[in-house]
Amino acid sequence: MSIQTLLMELVLMPLVAFVVGLFMVLMLRRIGAKLQRRVGPPMMQPLYDIVKLYSKKTQISHGWMHDIGIIMAVGGYVAAETLLPVPGMDGIADKGGLVTLVYMMMVPSLGLALGVGQCANPNGSIGIARALTSMLAYDVPFVIVVFGVAWYFGTTNLVDIIAIQQAGGVAGWGAITMPLLAIAGLFALQGMLGKQPFEIYIAPAEIATGPMVEMSGKYLGGLFVMQCFQLYTAGVLYVSLFLGGGENWLFFLIKVFAVVAIPMTVAFLFPRYKTEQMIRLMWKWPVMIGLLGLAFVMH
Amino acid sequence: MKEIDIPIEASVGQSRTNPLARVFDELVRFCRSRSMFMLHYCTGCGAIELPPAMTSRFDMERLGIQPMVTPRQADILLITGYVSIKTLKRVILTYEQMGSPKYVIGICSCTVNGGMYWQSYATAKQLDQYLPVDLYIAGCMPRPEAVLEGMRKLMDRIRSDEADGWKDYYRRYDWYLGNQQHLFGDDWQTPADVIGEASHYDLAGPGTEGEHTRLLQQCQKPLEPQQTFFQIGGSLEKKGEFHE
Ligand code: SF4
Repeated sequence: MSIQTLLMELVLMPLVAFVVGLFMVLMLRRIGAKLQRRVGPPMMQPLYDIVKLYSKKTQISHGWMHDIGIIMAVGGYVAAETLLPVPGMDGIADKGGLVTLVYMMMVPSLGLALGVGQCANPNGSIGIARALTSMLAYDVPFVIVVFGVAWYFGTTNLVDIIAIQQAGGVAGWGAITMPLLAIAGLFALQGMLGKQPFEIYIAPAEIATGPMVEMSGKYLGGLFVMQCFQLYTAGVLYVSLFLGGGENWLFFLIKVFAVVAIPMTVAFLFPRYKTEQMIRLMWKWPVMIGLLGLAFVMH
Repeated sequence: MKEIDIPIEASVGQSRTNPLARVFDELVRFCRSRSMFMLHYCTGCGAIELPPAMTSRFDMERLGIQPMVTPRQADILLITGYVSIKTLKRVILTYEQMGSPKYVIGICSCTVNGGMYWQSYATAKQLDQYLPVDLYIAGCMPRPEAVLEGMRKLMDRIRSDEADGWKDYYRRYDWYLGNQQHLFGDDWQTPADVIGEASHYDLAGPGTEGEHTRLLQQCQKPLEPQQTFFQIGGSLEKKGEFHE
């Protein structure tokens, strides 16, 4: 691969991720509206929100750690996008591999923790403590799932994992060959996206959106951008591990949107759990299912 | 609907040479009008008309209006009814924490002229003496249709760049502060540094500073770090301090 194509892919991949992410946010809000029998926001609403937030006149910064925290939160996901192969573009996926990607996906939470820590708002501190706790909770099944998939395919290279699945057709998809791990992965996905019942760190009615409580203007805009990337990353990772990645853009997008729609649809059926309930649930059922799946895979 | 007369000044240092600046400004104004995060400060009885305006019957979200929970994230401050003097202090604190451009909507007749609380000693009569109100929605109480109509009116005004009450607050801060001091006493102060913000963002006008702001500077006490207490097993334990 020439250096020009590589550079172009490194720019294009986060850009594509952002645009797809905008539509995912729109889809989530539309699903919520449909379930509540409302019309829902117009097509370009996520974009309006972000442009509006970035065009705020006054910004309230709480110090340079606050600024860097947001940069880390967005930057971590931008880096993660270049490690996620999409149809036609591999970026640096075959050099990075699955393990680097998992590390990269933790950077945003840590960046937020640093930034919010400086705001000195008790709600924010509680929120970030809960966010890190929930990360601890969903990362255990998540790591089991990633390990199981890597073991089954004998590689941590996402490009190879996708190629092996596509060679086997639908019967070769991870969701068919490793159904238990796929189920555990869905649990982890729900926790990763922070949707109910695992919405403990946003909790608008309880701790006033937790980490976002002191964010105004461009800071909140940064977090909205981060949300687009977060939905995209989680969706594409799940599709790459279990649904055979993308043969072409059409099937790829259908799969990714379908995967992201699951947590949102489930979310409206549940209230919010308490922190300790979430940890107990996460460390019990998905871990048990995941370990069982792992045993089948390793057998 | 009340028009606020704002003294017109020549804009200084605002010459824009980029030919795309107009297009860009237009885009920004459009996005601002189509995406409004509102903070409903539910004073008084008018708040009861907001749930129907937000939920499935009238659905504000199709206009891009979304409820938000903290002042930092919000664009519109909804005052939904009479404000008692004690509440007004909180309302002003909240308003000053919001990021500009910010808009205030007074719902209910009580915010216009005191309404049926005209003779009460404990309510503020006219909200726009203490905060720059961009739009009033009169009625005791206004129906959701009226609320939505008001929101649409505000959208039009943002679109045409007329809703600049927030600039007025910076430019005539002395006047607003004078009214606030009249109500709350001479030692009234808020944590937000409005004058500093006005000069930093080049929004200061001739009325930003005056006798009332001088009084504020005389009476101002430095903000103390707040101590927090957590109750653990019945005993009140001190657990460190929050600065800033
Ligand atoms: S105008 Fe009527 S409904 Fe509104 S706050 Fe006053 S008394 Fe209540």
